[in-house]
Amino acid sequence: MTSPVIDIRALTKRFGSLTAVESLDLAVQPGEIYGLLGPNGAGKTTTIRCLLGFLNPSGGSVSLFGGDPRDPDVRRRVGYVGGDVTLDRHLKVRDLLKWYGDLRGGVPWARAEALCERLTLDPTRKIGELSTGNRRKVAVIQALMHDPDVLVLDEATGGLDPLLQRTVLRMVQDRCADGTAVLWSSHLLPEVENIADRVGILRLGELIREDSMANLRAEARQRLELRFADDLPPGFLDGVAGTSEVQVDGRIAHVVVDGSVAALVKHIADREVERIVSHDDDLEDIFFQYYGEERENQ
Amino acid sequence: MSAVIVLRQMLKERTKSTIWWSAAFIVLTVAIGASYPTVREQASALDAFMESMDEGFLEMFGAADGSIASPVGFWNSNFYANLFPILLLVLGIGMAAWSIAGAEREGTLEPLLANPVRRSRVALGRYVGHAIVLAVVTAISTAVLIAFRGPWDYTEISVTEFVAAGVASLLLALLFTTITYAIGAATGRKGAAIAGGAGIAVATFVIFALAAFVEFFANLRWFSPWYWFLEPSPLADGWTWRSIGLPLLIIIPVMIIGTVWFTRRDLR
Repeated sequence: MTSPVIDIRALTKRFGSLTAVESLDLAVQPGEIYGLLGPNGAGKTTTIRCLLGFLNPSGGSVSLFGGDPRDPDVRRRVGYVGGDVTLDRHLKVRDLLKWYGDLRGGVPWARAEALCERLTLDPTRKIGELSTGNRRKVAVIQALMHDPDVLVLDEATGGLDPLLQRTVLRMVQDRCADGTAVLWSSHLLPEVENIADRVGILRLGELIREDSMANLRAEARQRLELRFADDLPPGFLDGVAGTSEVQVDGRIAHVVVDGSVAALVKHIADREVERIVSHDDDLEDIFFQYYGEERENQ
Repeated sequence: MSAVIVLRQMLKERTKSTIWWSAAFIVLTVAIGASYPTVREQASALDAFMESMDEGFLEMFGAADGSIASPVGFWNSNFYANLFPILLLVLGIGMAAWSIAGAEREGTLEPLLANPVRRSRVALGRYVGHAIVLAVVTAISTAVLIAFRGPWDYTEISVTEFVAAGVASLLLALLFTTITYAIGAATGRKGAAIAGGAGIAVATFVIFALAAFVEFFANLRWFSPWYWFLEPSPLADGWTWRSIGLPLLIIIPVMIIGTVWFTRRDLR
């Protein structure tokens, strides 16, 4: 196994009497997208700010490529989009990107310009005149323009419309395909569920669940609506493996499946199914379950 | 190299405001200088008036040689003892407070530091940037003063003495702006930085001003950079240890302490 690009070990960060992050272990491999999930105040941003060297850990360690995150040689390989994007408002987009490009050893302007075109951003405009979404685009472009080997994204697509969100996701996936490790922090599961390989759920500064998306999906309950051409005979769906709830009303059946739907699909294969509707919000139930526990604890 | 990129960017961003500030300093210098020939014509009446005043007032206005109509007395009392350093401080304290603490508060420092640049390079680039802007406006004002020595009849003050007074003014301003910078760098608090730099400037000016009248403050005047700057005046004595050396003894360590502290603390 290759050594992790992002390696966080027993990270603890305290602000006075408040413990923001407690004994956090987290590792992200090259080419992996890791979704760091949790409600606001769970410790995601604190973790990221420690990882980038903006905060000094109270305990434990953080490393990027096995080195100190503050080392410029390490930083040169990092792309970062902060959660609360504030870029120099009085600068034009082009001037900021050229300035940051110079700091990164000279990023060709054509590269930044191509990203501006892809995200439909006018580089001649002043950042202060841009909408929140367009400022977010500037943040994304400056993080990607030097083809980083690790991307640290904190609520990176907040404020973007769905079309642009999809574009950014694709850009991140493209980087990932080239071996870039991605740590994507979000308080919304849908933002990362389609691209993350693994997710970790933070609650009150502690990592309470870490698993692959595949495992989480297998665990998730799915609500399916099945529309058949003809009325179903009584008891047709009773006892099918994986189904936990079945309601039949004429030719429409509402079924709750735990994990795989393979047995159910096999069972109904001989009947004419006109339509299958999946209410795919049950993956979120897992997260709401953890969030809910937090609120109860609070 | 990265410090140079940060410095270059700061100067680029400050070009317009530096031009405006320079124009304001030129107007101020010309306006005051143009009145000197008239003041000189009234020298005997002004000197008689000043003789009736307490010697402390003369010291406070930088006219300790007893005449506000003499070139040294005029330029000290109307320019170097008040307006010029105060305007330099207004310009410099604003820049120094912004360089770290202000940028941190507005949120632009964190994205900058996500680049491959050490904190110390960002801090030093911006510190040097603010010093260069102050040096530019000081140099322009000094050049105007030197250019009009003949036309406005104050050739008794040599070019060297004007240069020495300009450098001393710059160092006086830098002393307080460095304190502002260092507090901002060490704490990340812009308000504290401005309050610290401006507060110490005002407090030490009060000590200097009251030293001529109150014995208690007279004993403290050695703590006032304004005293180092004006007694004796570089306009009369040229390069003095007090006006050049003493500020540097404060500026260099304070700048280093602020920068080192910044490299070690959490960002806010």
